[in-house]
Amino acid sequence: MRVLRVVGQIVAVVGVFLLLRWLFGNLIDNSRRGGISLDFGFLNRPTQFQIPNAPDFNPRSPVWQMVVVGIKNTFLASVFGIALAGVLGLIIGISRLSQNWLTSRLAAVYVEFFRNIPPLVIILFFAFAVFLHGPLPNLREAFEVGFPGTSHNLFIFSLEQWGVPSLADAGNLGYFGLAVAGGLAVAALIWRWRTRVHDETGDPHHRVLWTFGVLFALLMVAYVLLGEPFRITWPTLSENRRRLIDGFAINAGFISVAGALGLYTASHVAEIFRGSILAVAKGQTEAASALALTNFQRYRFVILPQAIRIALPPLINQSLNLVKNTSLAAAVAYAEITNLTQASIGNGRPAVPSIVILMAVYLSFSLIISLILNVVNRRIQLVAR
Amino acid sequence: MTAVNARPNSTPNSAVSWIKVRLFPNMASGIVTLLLLPVVVYLAYRSFLFVAINGRWEVIQRNLTLFMQGTFPRDEQWRIVVQLILMGLALGFGTATALAASADRAREAGLPFARQRPWQMARRFWPLILFVLVLLYFANTSAPWLVMLVALAVIGVGATARFLPTRLRNLGWILMALSLIAGFQVVSGTTGRSWLATATIVSIGVWISVRLERLETLPRLAAKTVLVALAAAVVFGIYTFVTVPGIGWDRWSGLHLTLWVSALAIVLSFPLGLLLALARRSTLPALRALATGYIELIRGVPLITLLFMGQFILGFMLPAAADPSSVTRAIAAMTLFTAAYVAEIVRGGLQALPYGQTEAAQAVGLPPGKTMRLVILPQALRAVIPAMVGQFISIFKDSSLLFIIGINEFLGVRSLVHAQADFRSIAHAETLVFIAFGYWAFAYSMSRESQRLERRLRVGL
Repeated sequence: MRVLRVVGQIVAVVGVFLLLRWLFGNLIDNSRRGGISLDFGFLNRPTQFQIPNAPDFNPRSPVWQMVVVGIKNTFLASVFGIALAGVLGLIIGISRLSQNWLTSRLAAVYVEFFRNIPPLVIILFFAFAVFLHGPLPNLREAFEVGFPGTSHNLFIFSLEQWGVPSLADAGNLGYFGLAVAGGLAVAALIWRWRTRVHDETGDPHHRVLWTFGVLFALLMVAYVLLGEPFRITWPTLSENRRRLIDGFAINAGFISVAGALGLYTASHVAEIFRGSILAVAKGQTEAASALALTNFQRYRFVILPQAIRIALPPLINQSLNLVKNTSLAAAVAYAEITNLTQASIGNGRPAVPSIVILMAVYLSFSLIISLILNVVNRRIQLVAR
Repeated sequence: MTAVNARPNSTPNSAVSWIKVRLFPNMASGIVTLLLLPVVVYLAYRSFLFVAINGRWEVIQRNLTLFMQGTFPRDEQWRIVVQLILMGLALGFGTATALAASADRAREAGLPFARQRPWQMARRFWPLILFVLVLLYFANTSAPWLVMLVALAVIGVGATARFLPTRLRNLGWILMALSLIAGFQVVSGTTGRSWLATATIVSIGVWISVRLERLETLPRLAAKTVLVALAAAVVFGIYTFVTVPGIGWDRWSGLHLTLWVSALAIVLSFPLGLLLALARRSTLPALRALATGYIELIRGVPLITLLFMGQFILGFMLPAAADPSSVTRAIAAMTLFTAAYVAEIVRGGLQALPYGQTEAAQAVGLPPGKTMRLVILPQALRAVIPAMVGQFISIFKDSSLLFIIGINEFLGVRSLVHAQADFRSIAHAETLVFIAFGYWAFAYSMSRESQRLERRLRVGL
């Protein structure tokens, strides 16, 4: 029996090895015959195409820089998508449990609609039906929403770009960034200090007041000391109305991808929240009611803390799904890593190493997220017995 | 003394009390209702305008064939019609056999069994029926209506499978599989190795329906083997003499391709996923490492990267003579991708099974192979049916990615429609809403079925 087990394993490993050797042998033969490169030397050669709205990038920039831009854009779309999905999903998940018929029906319709259509269809709907051929005007005739009482624009809407107010460096923005980081660290310490005071003495902690008060005070001091380190820039159209100057320009592609994935993933997140709230033992609700907690207090202090514990692992999985789904931007004009890789293969860069890099990028995203998941799992595990 | 059966006196104005309880139970809830109501009314009004008045739905009407079968040669359309009718037959065989099998089990257990009426069936699948009605509404000729009526009639023909004797119940499944294969081959043709699929199904059919109970074990097995070989040979003979040339799947497109690609991906990925799950659970470290590595690698990357690999690399990894078509490569990529997820689902089912089952099987002296085959797998696989339906929904939705690599499935047809001069820059919302509705009808029906199965099988992981 023992011999059989060892032999079986050896056969399996050798079989897989031979299969891989055959596949890669073919690959090397074919590439030699077809004159296709398999090495990564192309990373240092010029990209030869322009990425729209990437200011530091030009067609002579090396391919590795394109990869960096792609990773950055994948990250940005993921962060915004996850934030949108989280907030929307929480609201919809709780709404679906509401006793108000209208609210719960609306939430149910939302979930059953968005959960059952492909995310790519939603992305294309944004890209084509909302932006490209939609009701919005192009940049020349963009809607400008003024800030009441001033001549500034608060928003600019067009089918190519949206403009929102932003901060501009007025000399010391970098130092102010450091001050923000320091302030946040101090605020975290204060939060823990107040918690400890509350735990040890039973005095009211007033955590929110203390923390944000100190943070605000610190930032005000930093602002004054650094002598107005930044100023607000309002979105403005250039003289010929061809591009946005000042403010922060958000591209239609970004809104399509992050917005659509946010809406799609929110339906899954809502179901996770609903399931976890339902999974909290019914006795907890009854106990909270017996203590005469209000509806809000019951959710805030009894149900949600327990539901989050159940919800976190699947929520992190959904975030990973969202990150992987940003690859659907290959179908629209948003320069994330898959889209750029596809473009660069189409431009004659070697396919094999390009796709290896692409997969490595996603694998490292997945790896990071599953590391976070493991840490979270260890921390939230109830210590029983 | 008052009447005991007096009804609560809120009955006369139950609508009012419903509104009071469900919409205005307290102050906060009432405010939410008042805030939401105008929004809902406005959205409903805009949707109504779009669907009934403003929508330029002629884009669907004029391109309905394109959405359904894409660039499939129009002269060969009869193949898809015949396929649809054969699918109706398969549906009839399948549902009749499934219902009859549950009736059999109920009778054995001495439980009452309520046969489902056709209209109850129809209510279960209302999204799909709505979709078919919408398609028929957009039809320009009466031909689709006729095809639908014939297909419905054929479902009735297939339903006669319930009159098969209990002993031959499994024959119903064989008949279903045969009509499915016939439906596939009406379009794809009966050339090449297509006889293999038919021969396999016929052989299984012969094996399970021929009993020969009077013979001893060994002669019985021998006789059955001979019969199976004979049947397979007959099938091979028929396929050799009667060859129907067909249209390979590299020329399919539209909804037709979407449905077949997702069905093939889930069916092909199941055996691979099962093997991977068993390997990952096995006590052999080398096997476990290989399976774990494969599963985690595949689950860590998006499907589109595998499709790119299929498009750009797979061709180089095979001998130059192989040269699979792009649809074949896409199906291969989707199968390899889905197998990893199927493996995790099956592993979940295996893990959820109490270890006592294994111990009990060992206690009655079953060897490991039989323990797995007769005790563990039947229970574990039954428990994962709902999750497998969920995975099927997922792969069905993911099949839309084929459009990115240039295959014109249901979503990709859109680009053909908008390449027409009349619709170049208009009606993008209409086509996308129609496509979304199509995906939704299938996915939502399946998700309802999966929830129903979860309740019925009393499983849920």
